[in-house]
Amino acid sequence: MNEDAKLHDAARRLGVQAAEQLDVERLAAAVIERLRREPARATRPAWMQPAWLRIAAAVVVLVGGGLVWRQLGSPTGGAAHGAHLVTDDLTDLSADQLRDVLNTLDETLNLGSTTLPDGDLEDLDAQQLQAVLRSLEG
Amino acid sequence: MAQPQSLAASISPAPDSALIAAWQRGDEQGAAELVRRHARALARFLAGAGAPEADVEDLVQDTFIRAFRAVDRFRGHCQFRTWLLTIGGNVLKDHGRRAARHKVVPLDEGLAARDGDPHERAEAGEAEARLAVGVGELPRLQREVFLLRAQQGLEYDEIAAALDTTEGAARVHYHHAVKRLKERMQ
Repeated sequence: MNEDAKLHDAARRLGVQAAEQLDVERLAAAVIERLRREPARATRPAWMQPAWLRIAAAVVVLVGGGLVWRQLGSPTGGAAHGAHLVTDDLTDLSADQLRDVLNTLDETLNLGSTTLPDGDLEDLDAQQLQAVLRSLEG
Repeated sequence: MAQPQSLAASISPAPDSALIAAWQRGDEQGAAELVRRHARALARFLAGAGAPEADVEDLVQDTFIRAFRAVDRFRGHCQFRTWLLTIGGNVLKDHGRRAARHKVVPLDEGLAARDGDPHERAEAGEAEARLAVGVGELPRLQREVFLLRAQQGLEYDEIAAALDTTEGAARVHYHHAVKRLKERMQ
């Protein structure tokens, strides 16, 4: 018997004993019993597959993060931009521009501490009124 | 589950497709007949692929359960038996992950129930034992292609359809498997 024939002969015999030992009728009954007893697990629809869920979660994080960023950034819009300029590169700015940036930073720093006076606006002097207006303009 | 008039009982022998349709309509006898038809081939495949002999019956059961649960996804691209065998391969892989063990049929156990010349029996048993070890060492795809071809006698186009690959790729996997097994058996 050549090598190929030997190999195929051995392959055909693989598992024969295990198959012969099988009680097919008992097995069929057991399978039916399990099908009755064990309810089918609901399969997830395609859109609920893990890959889609991961993509959806990433989109939510990006959109949510963007919204939060906008919310936090909007009250100090111009000021934030000015502050950003400072961090970008101060060496490129002229003296006037640097002064503008410093003013903007001053406004930004003062913004949190500016509070509306408890009393009537008519009681305020010109400087106080300007401060209130600036804080309202953001 | 409701049991309408059994197709398996009324028509004999019904093709697999009719039995599948019967099961999908709720006829349990359709499923039972499919088990009777294909259980032994599945057991041979699983044992040949390295399933421990003591676990073969449980694995056969698990494979049928998984197949009947997923039968709506069977598109008829290959024979039901071939599809079942590939599910058996997945069940065995999951089992292997859990158990992380392999068992080869011992030589004396393999020889116990055979007739014929004792010398030929011993030689055949030895070849079978070596082959079982060799098959167990093959990469999964090579192992399945080899068994589907050499043990189950399937054509390459059928194997390719079941394993979702090309006929050429199936031939290559078979070629590599045979080469390795020949080396193992020398």
